[in-house]
Amino acid sequence: MSDFSNRTKGELILEIKNMNKSFGPVTALKNVDLNLYRGDVLGLIGENGSGKSTVSSIAAGMQKADSGEMTFLGKKWSPTSMINALENGIGMIVQESGTIAGITVAENIFLGNLNQFSRFGFINKKELYKRANDVLRQIGIDNIDSSMIMGSLDFQSRKLVEIAKVIMKEPEVLIVDETTTALSQNGRKILYGIVDRFRKENRAVIFISHDLDEIMEVCDTLTVLRDGNIIRTFKKEEFDPDQIRLSMIGRELEGDYYRSDYEHVYGEKVTISLQNATVNGHMYNINLEAHEGEILGIGGLSHCGMHTLGKVLFGAVKLDEGEALVDGEKIKNEIFATKKKIGYVSKDRDNESLVLSASVKDNISIAGLDIFSIGNFLVLYSKENEYVKKQIDSLSIKCSDSGQIVQTLSGGNKQKVVFGKWIGCGSEILVLDCPTRGVDVGVKQAMYQLMVQLKQEGKTIIIISEELPELMGMSDRLIIMKNGRIEKEFLRSKDLSDAEIIGYMI
Amino acid sequence: MEELASRNKIKFDKYRLKKLVIALLPLVALIALFVAYLIILNANDYNVSMNLKTLLNQSIVLILVATGAIFIFTLGQFDISLGANTLFAAVIGTLAYKASGNIFVLFLVCIVVAVACSLLNAVIASIFHLPMFVTTIAMLSVLTALATFLIQSEGTASGTSFSITLPSNLVNDLSAIDTPAFKISVVVIFMVLMIFIFNFTKVGRKMKFLGGNQNCAKLTGISVSLFGIIAFALAGLGAGLGSSMTVVYAHTVSTTTASSIGMSVFIAIVFGGMPINGGARSRIYSALIGGISYNLMTNILFILFQSMQGVRDGLVQVISGIFFLAIVFVASINYRSKNLPR
Amino acid sequence: MKISKFMKGTVALALAGVALAACSGESTEKVVKVGVLVADVSGEEALGFKSYLQNYVAKQYNYEFIYSPQIESAEQAKSQAETFIGQNCKAIIDMADKNRGDLAKLCNDNQVYFAIGSGMMSDEDFAASKSLEYFVGQIGPNMTTEYETGLAMGQYYKDAKNVTKIGVYGAFIPNPMHLYRMAGLLTGLGDTYKGATGQNIVFTVFGDGAQFDASNIAGDVAIDYCAGFDNEGAIFATVGQIIAKNPDAFLSVGMTTTFFADTLDGAGVEYSDIDSFTSANGNHMKNGSLGYLAGKYSSSLGPVFAAIKSAIDGKAIRTEAGEAFSLSQGYWTAKSSEEFEKFQSADSVENPIFNKTLLDSLIGLSYTEFVNEVAKDRTPQ
Repeated sequence: MSDFSNRTKGELILEIKNMNKSFGPVTALKNVDLNLYRGDVLGLIGENGSGKSTVSSIAAGMQKADSGEMTFLGKKWSPTSMINALENGIGMIVQESGTIAGITVAENIFLGNLNQFSRFGFINKKELYKRANDVLRQIGIDNIDSSMIMGSLDFQSRKLVEIAKVIMKEPEVLIVDETTTALSQNGRKILYGIVDRFRKENRAVIFISHDLDEIMEVCDTLTVLRDGNIIRTFKKEEFDPDQIRLSMIGRELEGDYYRSDYEHVYGEKVTISLQNATVNGHMYNINLEAHEGEILGIGGLSHCGMHTLGKVLFGAVKLDEGEALVDGEKIKNEIFATKKKIGYVSKDRDNESLVLSASVKDNISIAGLDIFSIGNFLVLYSKENEYVKKQIDSLSIKCSDSGQIVQTLSGGNKQKVVFGKWIGCGSEILVLDCPTRGVDVGVKQAMYQLMVQLKQEGKTIIIISEELPELMGMSDRLIIMKNGRIEKEFLRSKDLSDAEIIGYMI
Repeated sequence: MEELASRNKIKFDKYRLKKLVIALLPLVALIALFVAYLIILNANDYNVSMNLKTLLNQSIVLILVATGAIFIFTLGQFDISLGANTLFAAVIGTLAYKASGNIFVLFLVCIVVAVACSLLNAVIASIFHLPMFVTTIAMLSVLTALATFLIQSEGTASGTSFSITLPSNLVNDLSAIDTPAFKISVVVIFMVLMIFIFNFTKVGRKMKFLGGNQNCAKLTGISVSLFGIIAFALAGLGAGLGSSMTVVYAHTVSTTTASSIGMSVFIAIVFGGMPINGGARSRIYSALIGGISYNLMTNILFILFQSMQGVRDGLVQVISGIFFLAIVFVASINYRSKNLPR
Repeated sequence: MKISKFMKGTVALALAGVALAACSGESTEKVVKVGVLVADVSGEEALGFKSYLQNYVAKQYNYEFIYSPQIESAEQAKSQAETFIGQNCKAIIDMADKNRGDLAKLCNDNQVYFAIGSGMMSDEDFAASKSLEYFVGQIGPNMTTEYETGLAMGQYYKDAKNVTKIGVYGAFIPNPMHLYRMAGLLTGLGDTYKGATGQNIVFTVFGDGAQFDASNIAGDVAIDYCAGFDNEGAIFATVGQIIAKNPDAFLSVGMTTTFFADTLDGAGVEYSDIDSFTSANGNHMKNGSLGYLAGKYSSSLGPVFAAIKSAIDGKAIRTEAGEAFSLSQGYWTAKSSEEFEKFQSADSVENPIFNKTLLDSLIGLSYTEFVNEVAKDRTPQ
């Protein structure tokens, strides 16, 4: 790599001109122009399908544009792959998983460059692990050992390794694509530190996020995309959340975002509960009750055990001690849970809540087959179509028709399909794990309002989330977990402060 | 704005059209092959009705076994013991037929044995928490060994091998039903049943879902082991019918009976457009279309290369292999969905 | 006038030619197609037969011999036979031995001639098939011939070679052909199996559920036995062990030249086999230690062809009772390299034993004459 010691702030480092990209019938980018300058942290924000990930993934070599030009460091830029792009100065940390589960952390970091450790065909593992550990420590990761198998780490740790891998190559341009949702406080700190360093060293960063507060905090410039077009670019001085939201969705957000009331009102009947519930290694001695018409929030850091708790409530994880009960009966397994009208929305949407290769119709109707079939057998197509249409309409799922393959939907619409699956079959209890992750603003609002409506219908909703504002905005009661135990319970109130709550989380 | 909408619509219709074309490709290929076959037969002045009868005979067992097996493939599983199961069921069925003289017994025993053996795969896998494929490997050895033992001890020797043969009166009875009409009826009834289960029942739906993503299916309250068992039972039904039809046709069972079924099943369903991983895009009629297409193709190739006797067999295999790879490739293009970014 | 006479003459000539062509029993334009069912597509013996049919007979008689792909099961055989019928074959020669009785009936139902080119039908099948009009018949070593071949081998090694300890390869025992040969071999050596000799050995083995147990062999000649069938993984190791004990000879009822020839040549152990007169085997006899080979020669298929052609020409060769024939044909035995070469050169593709002259003389013969011709000893002197 050439010497970049003379980096001048404000110099044009990456130029994108007239870029177009379509996926089948859907246009992702339309005549997009983008300029990135040294020393600048450029934020890209927009709803799902706006094109923000597309344009940056093309710059990072993940895919090719249909037309348009890119110029990087004054030369024509057309990387053949992400590895090629990273070698030549542009690195990207992707939203979903960018590492390989079956090999060690060290092998992931040095993927493609293992030859430097090999002598006579054998890899010097000691050297490999030492160097990899150095890389990790350098960016402040000290709780991961590079000899560990990638797959044994949790999602956040994997993400941190991915960051280390990219940063090790010292790219001139770093693209961060919705990475912070996977990270805890500490992880975010590390990432922000890197972004700051890049700014100071007159490199450049493209920062893609949904979180308006975060992006306004971190970025110097903010470009809003919508439907594949650049709408507006805001300089730091011009940052205004309402204006930005307006540009993003093209209209004013009407009505409430979260709940408008501050009361914690719910029915008396206990619908689902945990008694002295323990899953070794994850959660200990949990006692918990949820009621009819209640929104129960469960929050904490990502390892606090709440995700396991969600699975326990659905019967997907067996307890080592204690009981999980629904209507007084033990929750044996998932089949029992669904029979008892419990619905479960997983944090890992693509792997656990959806069959990506199946249609919208299949994914929605699968939980409600009993409703439109005769006896044990005959599925009535016409009734099924009605059933699915109802969900598509009421949730405003954007799809060409119910036969569209779910994989081709945007994140928000995918989540709506998952909701449709559980609401359509009349779930009385909904366990929602990170229900608005990767979902944009307009859809989020619709989901929150839906939850309010379900609460009013007497359903029990349990929200497990790492987003504190969401929990504070929606819950009747908020339970905070730490290290597998319940730390504190808060009742809904106007005076609730996030500082106080965070104190119990960390 | 409207122009944008209509442009999007045109683009989208082209996209939908492309998807439709790819979905119909196996059927179109079958029709094309069939027409080509008729043309070649006529050009060579061959007996068309005899050749069509032969095609039916070549295809029927394969169609029956493969269609049943589609349920297993839909789950994303694989059963390597299908051929052995068919053989074993044929052996027991033939012995029962010999003892009773009743054709109905032949069919009943073949089906019951095949279903039982197939079920055993899934049940053992479920009890011991093994992948189903592993139990089918064990079944393959066990059933083959059992069948061989029975054939050698109960069968008669002729020339270089042992076989269980039937007395001429029973052979005559079988010959009476060894007709195109009967065979087509069996296939039709079976296909109707399978199509019904696959497309119109909760069982079929859940299986397709399970094959698409086992984790998600589990988290939607679908029992992995239960539907595995059902799939294997249905596959056993296909194998049982196939084995009885083999006996009806060949009037004998030897250790090489149904020897090629295992691989042929896989080839047939791939030719018919079935996705290798199963899941939502599985099609119950893949075996029907693919089985006939495959046999048509090899028959055509054998006729075309008739004169190149020395290299004919090798050439036919190579070309079949190339077609097979091409089909897998085309199917995977369709399957590799285009990722929209978030 | 001249022209019209010329025209008349031409037309008359043409008519005459057409009449002549119509009159002739043989259709000179159309090739006669014969399907051949085979289980072995690559062995030298099989290739020898194929070469005789396709490179000699086909050219001499305007016939086309279409070979099936390798046939493994009864269904496949039947399906292939149906394919041949659908391709207008006038006859089918079966060398695959998969449910021959059924095939005979199938061909008969479709007016296609059926003959057996190697081996024989079971007695029951033959009894059921012999009255079928389109079943031509079978010529081959029957079980007694197989027994006698093994017997001759055993006697030779006992009397002429004075062996006292030998290795024996059992090939596909308990399959009948090899079992009969083994029975003959043991008897020729003077040994017994569970006290039985002669063809009784076969019945004894069948009585034991077709299980052949070498520990039941007793007698003056000690036998170190290697089973072929059901022992596939261990045959090379076992034979290696046998050779290491330095036997007087290594005798075989089949398949030894296929598997162990190089090993035995390398160890210098004399061996025997029942196979065919291929150049590879000739090499083993000349340069290696193959000492005794009983085999079929390629044109031994000749009489079968002659019988088929007779039938197609409307002069079917039938027994006095109007039934298909079943004739025995034995093996040639070479005990030296010179004999081998003599046999090999006696029957080449260019100049086979059953050449056109001889074949022509067989076509349309009466049954008795045909039997005599087939039974003639044609061993080259």
